[in-house]
Amino acid sequence: MAFNYEKYLRLEKMPTLWCWGCGDGVILKAFVRAVEKLGLKQDDVVVVSGIGCSGRFSSYVDFNTVHTTHGRTVAYATGIKLANPDKHVICVAGDGDALAIGGNHTIHGCRRNIDMTLIIINNFIYGLTNSQTSPTTPTGMWTVSQKAGNIDPTFDTCDLAIASGASFVARETMLDPKKLEKMLVKAMEHKGFSMAEVLSNCHINLGRKNKMVSAMENLEWIDNITVPLKKYEAMTPEEQLNLFPTGVLKQDTEANEYCDMYAEIQKVHQGERKKITQDDFAKKI
Amino acid sequence: MGTFKTENPGDQPVWVNTNNCKACDICVSVCPSGVLAMRYEVSSTLGAMIAVEHPESCIGCNECELSCPDFAIFVADKQEYKAAGFSFAKLTDDAKARQETIKANNYYSLEQGAR
Amino acid sequence: MATREVISTGNQLAAMAAADAGCMFFAGYPITPSSEVMHEMSDLMPARGGVTIQMEDEIAGICATIGAAMSGQRALTATSGPGVSLKAENLGLAQMAEVPLVLVNVMRGGPSTGLPTRVSQGDVLQAKNPSHGDYKSITLAAGSLAECYTETVRAFNLADRYMQPVIVLLDETIGHMHGKADIPTAEDVANGIVPRKRFDGPAEEYFPYECGPTEPATLNPMFEGYRYHFTGLHHDKNGFPTEEIETCRKLIQRLEDKVAMHEDEVESYEEFMMDDAEIMIVAYGSVSLAAKESIRHLRDAGIKAGLFRPITIWPSPAKKIKEYTDKIEKVLVVELNIGQYHSEIQRAAARLDIDGLFKVNGRPISPYEIVNKVKEL
Repeated sequence: MAFNYEKYLRLEKMPTLWCWGCGDGVILKAFVRAVEKLGLKQDDVVVVSGIGCSGRFSSYVDFNTVHTTHGRTVAYATGIKLANPDKHVICVAGDGDALAIGGNHTIHGCRRNIDMTLIIINNFIYGLTNSQTSPTTPTGMWTVSQKAGNIDPTFDTCDLAIASGASFVARETMLDPKKLEKMLVKAMEHKGFSMAEVLSNCHINLGRKNKMVSAMENLEWIDNITVPLKKYEAMTPEEQLNLFPTGVLKQDTEANEYCDMYAEIQKVHQGERKKITQDDFAKKI
Repeated sequence: MGTFKTENPGDQPVWVNTNNCKACDICVSVCPSGVLAMRYEVSSTLGAMIAVEHPESCIGCNECELSCPDFAIFVADKQEYKAAGFSFAKLTDDAKARQETIKANNYYSLEQGAR
Repeated sequence: MATREVISTGNQLAAMAAADAGCMFFAGYPITPSSEVMHEMSDLMPARGGVTIQMEDEIAGICATIGAAMSGQRALTATSGPGVSLKAENLGLAQMAEVPLVLVNVMRGGPSTGLPTRVSQGDVLQAKNPSHGDYKSITLAAGSLAECYTETVRAFNLADRYMQPVIVLLDETIGHMHGKADIPTAEDVANGIVPRKRFDGPAEEYFPYECGPTEPATLNPMFEGYRYHFTGLHHDKNGFPTEEIETCRKLIQRLEDKVAMHEDEVESYEEFMMDDAEIMIVAYGSVSLAAKESIRHLRDAGIKAGLFRPITIWPSPAKKIKEYTDKIEKVLVVELNIGQYHSEIQRAAARLDIDGLFKVNGRPISPYEIVNKVKEL
């Protein structure tokens, strides 16, 4: 298809520093194709990333970009978005960045339902710092900080986002880049907090002592632990136990978006409307 | 600027940029048609480099370009390719069988012997 | 300069100053005794089309502030000692990426939870180096109600001039003090706004971090056609991460020199009855109010005391201090901590015999305590 990626890349930074076969590159390409599909102007887009391999995402793409401190992606993005509510804000963070140190900010970004897209690239490990356990590392796997086997139970990223109040929650993998691109289009189109979890491979760190030394073996493992939502819903709890459903798991187009609500606050202070009260909300508690 | 080649170097259905290829084998593994294979390359970090061995079998499915993390392989745009008077191949059983053998050979070119 | 008389508290004056100085964004978290700054901003900001958001924690507060400042707005946050401790890592990113913002620290008893509702000046050393690594802090201390206003205004202009965070130190006494203040008119403040430099040429010729060795970066607002990268990593002229030896060395040296080579522009102090002083009292913040009163009493008793009051705490007015300490034998530093600025005075004076009156029980120092100490010298 010879898509014109060059338009969206900082070519002087290529090739990427990601390992051979790393899913980050596939996700970057899908994201760029999604931006093109949506017709977003490069100047109207800001990409905010955290620390980690996925954090390097922002330095490769030609938008307004910010590389923040570990875990604070959503917090920085909240400031940028509130100060510029009509611009497109996309956050990219890894599983450690968004769910461990950044867990609180992810939860509150979801809770506020502020209009931005958080792409959590979940490779089930801390990659950049070499193989430490992350909140999603499968129990029992080998990690460098738990060489006798991981005893930490795991989060389900999507369950967390749904419970925290995000109005769009979806999960895909980088195995089907076209499907991923479609999901990212939906996520970025959605008005409200969109959490898009993308399962990715890190055969170099997660895979190397967990029997997935090559990219393909890691990709096969991801294929084996995911199943489309409809099929998942038809399964028994035992069958569901070790599987992740993929697809759009939640979309609420009626939820109040934070910047819109803040515009109402501005109107109150400028004398253009009465104060906001409990009666303005369907969900009052 | 830089190391990109998103322009068709000359009526090819699929072409590679060896400057960007990190020899991860993913494109070879997703090709249904036995078009691609890895070859020994002493100067490359992993000792291997991508090669388009059977472009005549390329069906234009785009799986390789979509799955490559490193902007190392590109497939001709369907409309432009047709307008230039070319067409992609159809998927044949021979091509499928060749793909299986390449996979079984650890994604290496059959011309380079068993791997 | 015309002035107007207002009756307000230090915290409210700081918020008013920010709004008058063009601040359009506040993000913070409640912490005694600084919360009133946020409460005031929550009314002032939306009234003029700006934003105040109470974030989920202190760290999110500074991050959102930095985000808004990165996008081009003047941004404020306010907190107390424990909050500065939490914000430290991200203050470092703001220093490294050269993002202007103002942080108001209303100091309280510390360390740790300390004395939340009582005064101290215990965050002075912290303000010098809140975050790890090498950079040069700019810290101001408001010594009166009016200065809660004027120093906050100056902080915004300094932040934009030097492209880094500026810390304004208040304390619980002055933050909660309610009284009269003569402050500049909002119009004068607006006319005195010196916004950050911007580049107006073609985007291909724009290199945000390419500047002279003693100059700050020129960071255009986002979304205006100049796309570049912010990062806390060492970076090149585009803002892209790099490890290149000379680039890294020059960057860190420039972060130091952009302030160090312009100390005379940042410096600010007050000399109260210092012309014929035989005893020099050094005090800042709310303690200086007691010090001035004590000097009136001392002078009545025939003791020629004077007050040297640093207003810009960091970088310290070392040259001026040495001028005085070279000729005045008796020097007394009065502060509500165990000698945090005393050690700086000794360093600047190249003396080890500077006296100190230190109080750390959470109560303000009264003029009589200072008078009695001076009489002992």
